[in-house]
Amino acid sequence: MSDETRQNFLNRLRIQKDLEKFTAGALARHGNVEDIVTRIAALERRDQDFVYAWAELIARANHELAAHFVSRVATAFDRMERTGVEDWVDRAMETFDNRGLGFAIEVLEDVDTFARAYASRHVRCGFDDASAFLRHFVRGLGGRELRVAVDQSTFTDTESLYLPDAVNLFPEPEQNFTLYKLTAVHLWAQTWYGTWRYQVVERLLREFDADGPVAVFNRLECIRLEACIARDFPGLAREFNVYGHVDAAGDALWDDWRQRAATLTAAQASALDSLDLVDAFLELPLPPLRPYEGDMFAGRVRQALFARIEREKSALQRAMQELREQNEHGEAGGDDAQKQLVEVQTQDEDGSGGADVNFQVTIDGEVTPVPENMKDLLGSIMQDFGEIPDDHLEPLERGEYSDDLLPQRGDVDGDDDPDLNGTGTFTYREWDCVRQRFREGFCTLRELSVPPGDEGFVTATLEKHRGLLKSIKRSFEAVLGESRLQRRQADGDDIDIDALVEAFADVARGREMSEYLYTRYRNQERNIAVMFMVDMSGSTLGWVNDAEREALVLLCEALEMLGDRYAIFGFSGRTNKRCEVYRIKDFDESYTSAVRQRISGIRPKAYTRMGVAIRHLGQLLQRTQARTKLLITLSDGRPEDYGGYKGKYGIEDTRHALLELKQGGVHAFCVTIDNEAQEYLPHMYGPANFAVIDEVEKLPYKVADIYRRLTT
Amino acid sequence: MSTPAIHTAQSTITDEPYYEPVADEIDVFTAAYRNKLPVLLKGPTGCGKTRFVEYMAWRLARPMVTVACHDDLTASDLIGRYLVRGGETVWVDGPLTSAVRNGSICYLDEVVEARKDTSVVIHPLCDDRRLLPIEKLGEVLAAPPEFCLVISYNPGYQSVLKDLKQSTRQRFVALEFGYPKAEVEQTIIEKESGVDAASARQLIKFGHMTRNLKGSGLDEGASTRLLVNAAKLMHEGISPVIATDTAVAQALTDDEDMLQAVHELSRSIF
Repeated sequence: MSDETRQNFLNRLRIQKDLEKFTAGALARHGNVEDIVTRIAALERRDQDFVYAWAELIARANHELAAHFVSRVATAFDRMERTGVEDWVDRAMETFDNRGLGFAIEVLEDVDTFARAYASRHVRCGFDDASAFLRHFVRGLGGRELRVAVDQSTFTDTESLYLPDAVNLFPEPEQNFTLYKLTAVHLWAQTWYGTWRYQVVERLLREFDADGPVAVFNRLECIRLEACIARDFPGLAREFNVYGHVDAAGDALWDDWRQRAATLTAAQASALDSLDLVDAFLELPLPPLRPYEGDMFAGRVRQALFARIEREKSALQRAMQELREQNEHGEAGGDDAQKQLVEVQTQDEDGSGGADVNFQVTIDGEVTPVPENMKDLLGSIMQDFGEIPDDHLEPLERGEYSDDLLPQRGDVDGDDDPDLNGTGTFTYREWDCVRQRFREGFCTLRELSVPPGDEGFVTATLEKHRGLLKSIKRSFEAVLGESRLQRRQADGDDIDIDALVEAFADVARGREMSEYLYTRYRNQERNIAVMFMVDMSGSTLGWVNDAEREALVLLCEALEMLGDRYAIFGFSGRTNKRCEVYRIKDFDESYTSAVRQRISGIRPKAYTRMGVAIRHLGQLLQRTQARTKLLITLSDGRPEDYGGYKGKYGIEDTRHALLELKQGGVHAFCVTIDNEAQEYLPHMYGPANFAVIDEVEKLPYKVADIYRRLTT
Repeated sequence: MSTPAIHTAQSTITDEPYYEPVADEIDVFTAAYRNKLPVLLKGPTGCGKTRFVEYMAWRLARPMVTVACHDDLTASDLIGRYLVRGGETVWVDGPLTSAVRNGSICYLDEVVEARKDTSVVIHPLCDDRRLLPIEKLGEVLAAPPEFCLVISYNPGYQSVLKDLKQSTRQRFVALEFGYPKAEVEQTIIEKESGVDAASARQLIKFGHMTRNLKGSGLDEGASTRLLVNAAKLMHEGISPVIATDTAVAQALTDDEDMLQAVHELSRSIF
């Protein structure tokens, strides 16, 4: 017997003896003691210690249970990490305490089930963990902004990526995360490398609208996209390789298809080439989808695609119209503007076949800089067509500024009910972009007061966001700390006479002279008046409304600390005759319980006629004394009201109202949760004067943060 | 402490700074300089504004004074002040005054950061008077023809208190800077860092990805400067993913999800 085997033998003998001692002989009844001991002896030293410690502990409660533990623990270590084994033992002991020996033994015996449940709890990659990351990641890869959402099937409709709610195919969490990521990338690749271009979707639905051919098309596209990704993203391609194995038979099938469809791996291959091949592949056995590959639902794509094409076409025409008008040097909307020839040239930047292109817009042969929002629009259209179709560039008919522009109607029902608790009625003009004139006295606005709600909401919000409020207050404090005249500085704007006199006195007495002889202003006194204009339209119903109210509560707390003068008004209305603003807090009102109740009482009302609200609240703001005046709008979408106040008309009136404010020295800023805000907010508020918040829950935090950034 | 700023390097640039023109900015600047017009450079951080001024200073063979403006920068920081020295007061010129005296190019970087009272000294210098009043000395300096004032500012900066006033901006010839085109940016990265063309191309692709994220989670995408930094690390043998993580991702954001997204974007290319 060699030394090693001898050592082993002794070791096992010792383990067997110890364990039998712990279990008081109960282990012997488990038959295969030899086997159990061998496996425990094979564990690492610290795991063995773990087994010892627990065997002893369990034995104090029950010998039989300890014996079961010893007999299954090696299996448990095979299946799980140490923390998992600990959970398993904990569960068994808890069951023993509550339900008795029989159930506890069941838990120990069924270690496999436990391990599976444990694994899916701990190694899976869930949607909630990954969604924020994925949204950023996919946006970074390129192309139009895609939403990510959970669905039974994995697919894309070219607006959203639908993903399973969790992935737990692999034992390691990192692997599942990567798989989840690759699933999203594969769907993204379909939108980026033209799987769902207009021409493809049309033909697919016309010629191959059945499950079989679509499945073949899906496989062929997998092959083509694989090649595209390998060209552009070597890092991703490596990962796809690792995760792309099914089984030997499946891999062989894929290899076969890849060889047959070799033309699809060329750089210039398109989804139309895949369509050409579908018939030839129909009879072949279908390779199984790899774990990251999803289904295809051409019908869903078509729905999203057509809606988007319409939307983007009119958006582009509107944008082009503006470019034309700018180019006309002020002769806005003149006949000449219509006749100018607009061309969009595209240059494929890296020849990748993706939609990554540079745009150059020329008007009558003259190169014009492309505005940022238009680039996104053009990019998205390129993704759908692979080019900018000519009909997208045709000028709009004269007078037809936009397809959703309706003639403005005055109020039709006219049922004024003056019994509301209004404090006054005002009339305002409105900018009519069709006539290029103001409609004088067109809007009638009433200032109402929000009926008080339950103050408990405020307390609950403060409780809920306690940590957040602390950090907001801290960052606001830092702002405050700066605003003081500091004396006795080593350096500063002016000489600190007191310090200087003292210093000379010191010198006269033969002492050392201080070098701290200056005064300096860290920052001048804050002198800010801010008006918060809160969207109370019907669309805020639900959690948007909650988020708005929470945001206001936190903001008030923070603003009280800063001492900035502030007012809060809601706005809504229906038609030009019934525009309403709702007073929540006036400038000279302090943050009292009544204000808190009003914040809590904010409820969604009707529509969003923004122009008139801005004019009214802007006037209130201009009447206050402050060096800096700021109007901040919290909104959830475009201006829209009953009777044609929407689309271009609404946006132009709002823009005009904001320009009027700006001339009066008021800064305007907009915080919105509308994902499409890029299309119209830069035009209304200016390119840097708005913030889009992608998650409603973040509103309370973001609003305070934005306010701080704005005013420091 | 702003005292050292008073002695800011007034340097004559002897070696040609590396600068890759993106459009006709060199001609415009030269023409403005000849006509004694002040210049305003607009653009996001790290797109080459400072380098451009250095290059122009070299090209026009003028010494250059750079002042990085901060929110405590006052008019006296620019003009100068009396210091107490050995029981007496001594006047010390500020960077702007010495630039005017020497006929240098004075570059006020991120001028919106400076205190509002700085506009008092900038305004008379920037119209046809070209005068610098030094109130405390009771002196008015007339700027020599060689003197040129250049200011820069980032219009994407969201603070209502830090916006350039119309009265200020309407005195300048404005040059807008964006990130350079892919080919130009590639040349810049190669020349600045010494990496090969393939790595530079990958870095640019990565840069574009981060710029896609501007407005959807990032305030700014990776600037050319950050990409050059990453390239320099790569040239030293640091692996590309670590180089982009440290030189770009961490510099752009602290948000966990965003860091991870940028990290994975980098991994998808390299």
